[in-house]
Amino acid sequence: MSGRRTGQVLLMLAGLIAWAVQFTIIYAVTSTLCGREWADATIIGVGSVHAVVLLTTIAALGVAALSLLQSRRVHGRLGETAAAPDRFISQAGMLISGLSLVVILWQGIPAFILPACA
Amino acid sequence: MTHVGRMALETTPHGLPWRCTAMNRAAVFVCALSLAGCSGVQSALDPAGGDALRIYWLTLIMTLGGTLIFLLVTGLLLYAIFAPPERRAWLGRRRTIVVGGLAFPIVVLSGLLPYGLIVMRDTDVPMPGALQVAVTGEQYWWRVKYPEEGARPEFSTANELIIPVGQPVTVTVTAADVIHSFWIPNLGGKIDMIPGRINRLSFTAERPGIYRGVCAEFCGDQHARMAFDVVALEPAAFDAWRAAQAKPAREPDLPSLVRGRDLFRAAGCGSCHVVRGTEADGAFGPDLTHVGSRRTIGAGQFPNNVGTLAGWIANTQHIKPGVRMPSYGSFTGEELRSLAAYLESLK
Repeated sequence: MSGRRTGQVLLMLAGLIAWAVQFTIIYAVTSTLCGREWADATIIGVGSVHAVVLLTTIAALGVAALSLLQSRRVHGRLGETAAAPDRFISQAGMLISGLSLVVILWQGIPAFILPACA
Repeated sequence: MTHVGRMALETTPHGLPWRCTAMNRAAVFVCALSLAGCSGVQSALDPAGGDALRIYWLTLIMTLGGTLIFLLVTGLLLYAIFAPPERRAWLGRRRTIVVGGLAFPIVVLSGLLPYGLIVMRDTDVPMPGALQVAVTGEQYWWRVKYPEEGARPEFSTANELIIPVGQPVTVTVTAADVIHSFWIPNLGGKIDMIPGRINRLSFTAERPGIYRGVCAEFCGDQHARMAFDVVALEPAAFDAWRAAQAKPAREPDLPSLVRGRDLFRAAGCGSCHVVRGTEADGAFGPDLTHVGSRRTIGAGQFPNNVGTLAGWIANTQHIKPGVRMPSYGSFTGEELRSLAAYLESLK
């Protein structure tokens, strides 16, 4: 795969990669904080678990949003004569980034409804 | 369900086996449905408290919603297959796919997720003024401890949970051997009992009655026979029960009961069982101080009486193969009757 195509595919999957990283960090950090009884610690007045989930979720949402905007920009620049794979990848990128925004939010919501170490 | 089970074994007046025609099968099915109906001592569809009611509504909404969506999708699928091409064309349009395939699931799941989480959260809220009970799951029975509360002393019982109506109850659960799960369908949700970890579940019984709890996590051979009784009493009756349970075991007052107590001692039952007020102090098995006051024996398996107690002592490994208590088949009939009568007298 050429460097250009690699970049296109990475952009297409950026939202999903952000979700996977957010998922891993939330689970690892929450398990560690709760397991070692550090969950009561605070960061800038916010509980450590909530702070980690919040920061990770905001960062992941940012990556997914940037990927959505960039995919739209790329798709807008493609003319009618563009190659079918290019059009498909940019459209899939928009769809995947949009869905990633939703699932990243879903992944973060439980921390703010359930007790930190439920 | 036993009625249905017996139906299959019935014979005709001629002694021929009852033939299971399609109509008979349908009758059995309808019968089974009605017998396993919505109400009963072990039914999540008959909530007896606010916590169970919240779970009931969540179940109802998800079941009905899921059914309606399934029917809608199936209908659209059949329409897509059988409708004329010009009439089904709208199904393949981008707008249909975006609205039906993306927006609709996102909206539905975005609503269900917080709703389900809120129901989940509310089963773990520390309730002020709650009755505290500690339950330990063991293969294949339930150790139930009522901790000291003010002037009320601590005591233990087994395989039954007696609770006051209208007062929140907080049950802390753990396990001694493998993972079990504590579930009283009429009163609340399930909570896993994990060795080395303490979980918590709160609920309130809002109507007096007898309910049944079960182990909801496969825990070994006799998992299906690991149940317990739940009795919700009016507060005054609960207080009286609690006061009675805190007392030591009553002394036997009849020769046959004295004989039973002596056999209990001689056979070494006290190595595994506690009978408070006597030298029996074994902590391995259920506390038998007031075993005669319990509704059932064998973790919810049999009504509690002299006959079932005697049968249990003599045949544990036949009734529940794999339980920790060995069968004591060496007792004579007279000895078993005395021993069972003594235990039954421990009210």
